[in-house]
Amino acid sequence: MNIITKNLRLFWQGTVLSYVALFAWFRPVTYAASKILMPLAQIIFFTFLGSYASGGTDVDFYVIGNAIQITAVSGIFGVTMSIGGDRWAGTLPYLFGTPANRMMLFFGRAFMHIIDGAFGVVIALGWGALLFGVDFSHTDFSALGLTIIVTTTSTCGLGLLMGCLSLITANVMFVNNTVYFLLLIFSGANIAIDTLPNWMQAFSKALPLTRGIASARTLIAGGSFADVAPLLVSEIGIGIAYGILGYFLFTWFELHAKRKGTLETV
Amino acid sequence: MNTIEVKNLRRIYRATTGVIRRKVKEVEAVKDVSFDIKEGELFGLLGPNGAGKTTTVKVLATLLIPDAGEVRVKGLDIVKDANEVRKQIGFIFGGERGLYWRLSAIDNLRYFASLYHVDPEVSKKRIPELLELVGLKGRGDERVQGYSRGMKQRLHVARTLLHDPDILFLDEPTIGLDPVGAREFREVIRNLQSEKKTILLTTHYMFEADSLCERVAVIDKGEIVALDTPSALKKHVRDLSVVEIETFGIDPKVIDDIRKLPFVDALSTREQDHRQLLLVQTERGAEAVPDLIASLEGMRIGRVTVREPTLEDAYVRLVGGKA
Amino acid sequence: MKFKNLIVYWRTILRVAEITLRHQWNDSFILFAILVQPMLIAILALFMLRGSGENYAMFVVVGSGLTGLWSSLLFISGNSINGERWQGTLESLVAAPIPFEVIIFGKNLANVVQSLLSMSTSYLLAALLFGYTLQMSAPFLFTASVFLSIFAFISFGLIIAPLFIMYRGIQQWQNAMEFPVYILAGFLFPIALLPNWTTPVSYILPPYWAARALHETSTGEGDLQKILLAWGMMLIFSIVDLFISSKLFRKMLYKARVDATLETV
Repeated sequence: MNIITKNLRLFWQGTVLSYVALFAWFRPVTYAASKILMPLAQIIFFTFLGSYASGGTDVDFYVIGNAIQITAVSGIFGVTMSIGGDRWAGTLPYLFGTPANRMMLFFGRAFMHIIDGAFGVVIALGWGALLFGVDFSHTDFSALGLTIIVTTTSTCGLGLLMGCLSLITANVMFVNNTVYFLLLIFSGANIAIDTLPNWMQAFSKALPLTRGIASARTLIAGGSFADVAPLLVSEIGIGIAYGILGYFLFTWFELHAKRKGTLETV
Repeated sequence: MNTIEVKNLRRIYRATTGVIRRKVKEVEAVKDVSFDIKEGELFGLLGPNGAGKTTTVKVLATLLIPDAGEVRVKGLDIVKDANEVRKQIGFIFGGERGLYWRLSAIDNLRYFASLYHVDPEVSKKRIPELLELVGLKGRGDERVQGYSRGMKQRLHVARTLLHDPDILFLDEPTIGLDPVGAREFREVIRNLQSEKKTILLTTHYMFEADSLCERVAVIDKGEIVALDTPSALKKHVRDLSVVEIETFGIDPKVIDDIRKLPFVDALSTREQDHRQLLLVQTERGAEAVPDLIASLEGMRIGRVTVREPTLEDAYVRLVGGKA
Repeated sequence: MKFKNLIVYWRTILRVAEITLRHQWNDSFILFAILVQPMLIAILALFMLRGSGENYAMFVVVGSGLTGLWSSLLFISGNSINGERWQGTLESLVAAPIPFEVIIFGKNLANVVQSLLSMSTSYLLAALLFGYTLQMSAPFLFTASVFLSIFAFISFGLIIAPLFIMYRGIQQWQNAMEFPVYILAGFLFPIALLPNWTTPVSYILPPYWAARALHETSTGEGDLQKILLAWGMMLIFSIVDLFISSKLFRKMLYKARVDATLETV
């Protein structure tokens, strides 16, 4: 078999298997709860909190911010679980014992979560229109679609890095919960970035999501693709940087674990 | 009155399978089991894996409701008077789970002592005594996490003696222990026996039942196939001898052929590294050896011995020679 | 009957709570639920609610404390029975001659107190970081409200735990149950902002009355009559919850002995 098709197959299998294994215990109802109701509840909570704070203005700001932020459920939780899950299941030694291309193996774990995350954002924006009357009449939908895909991808990049961290610390839940809430603070979903202290702004700019959220807000308010193109380029760049960092950490982890014989310790 | 009375106990497990079309699968773990245990007796329940030993013990320990039959502990019904029964009994299930690994042994014991309403003054005195009894003296402040399997299993014994129960259920307590650990464990059981506790011990190690139990019930496929003293059970095979033949890489088909020989009453095998030990029960004793060797023609054979039957051989015969 | 148990078994409850605290202390998931998440929510809310009213820092500190309390009740107490099952300790607990709900009461007590203690420290820290002074308008009434809230949360948790075990369908909604209670109980913004039809739902949630009592006694917005109403509602709900929970526990344990689910996961 040709090396490219071989690796594509590996990529695809990693994708499907990690997804299926992770959600095997999920019944359709649970999936619905986590994909439809959880985002809804989060949007409602922060939108009310935000409009309570701002005296009823700026509802769109919070709705859009939190709708895009929803992608982190797949990008952070989903991806970290896909990677960290191998450790719990004890399958890591087998994985590292295969001759499979590590890069395909690694990035394959994130792929399905990109689709899943984008889907979640669309649902969340739908809730925004339905419940909070967010107006999409001036929106360039293809540019918004691209924004969603780009943001989701870059968030998954961070998720890959976090997943690797969880391999080292063995505290998947702790890592991904903390990152998720940090994103809520720093991504600009709920707090306008320019009102943050300078050091926090700097941190915001180094994160995925920040530019994606800004871009979505601009587009829904009637901005053009040209307005947001630079934002999207930096957004995807940041995501790729995190992903590559994660990949190096992953290969380092494999080497380290094999040297120290710690593959199975949880 | 007997301390423990089990009459026609029956217990079924139901498992649903299939996602869309749900099917209920029933497994009859205990079909019809009856036995009594006298006060202060050490009673053994012997059987292969899946015979229904653990299910029987869990019903007695008030952890399962029987589907049919009557089970009484000191005259109390295990369903209606579950809470009263619980005050009288202690139990351990083999294995190392069931402890708080992140706590020390002493903390584990203090915790369970409070659940059994042991007066704090009393438990302060009893916990060190129990640790000594089970050979964990001086290790009580360590986290259970770092304990060996044997230590965890002995800690379970201390746990179950906190409230000084009259009745103990020990379900395969020596499972997974190395020979030394198992021997130490049996010593603990002997100590309990000398304290006049009524004990139900399940095991699939024959010599364990033989050396410890006053009476033994052999259970197979959810039913009791024999119940007697170890020596009386051995009488089942008194007129037999056991021929042990050491073989190397024997073909399973040949084993079946030997099993069908007219003078063979029962046959079992033991795997030992690369060798297989054939245990043939026969009335003909040493006279059967030439015929047996003839049927193993062309195969590598090691040592051949003829000996008196043990309880294990009686058991093999009772459960149909498949152990 | 239930109350008698609580008094007879107080020593057991305290021991269970003590052991639970020590057992959970280095569990990172619990650390997150009780320490990190409420701290992050407090920082978030402090930023968002900047400049909305006089005593808003106090409001945010108490409100985010309540979010932590609810999350730990929902996730830690909600999963407490399953946690014992995974550890293999459930059988020994059930077979102890003590009502099982007494043990879970002790565990819930540990969780709630643990959240309260660690959170109050973290909020003081957050408030100091932001340079706010926290002023407690009615410290004695507030303390009394804290005790009643602890009791109300524990009792509410005693209904959640067996329900999660008996009806796995309900537990599937666990993640989706976290934020709605933040919203409906008015932890960080008044429920007056919500549509009218949700008000009765808020009224039947013990966390709502806890939030009212704690907010009113800390910010000084409520008069004594309002505070007494909230206390009364918490007491009534606690008693009703304890009553229902003892029925639920009995049903759950019988079912578990029939279905043989005390051990298997």
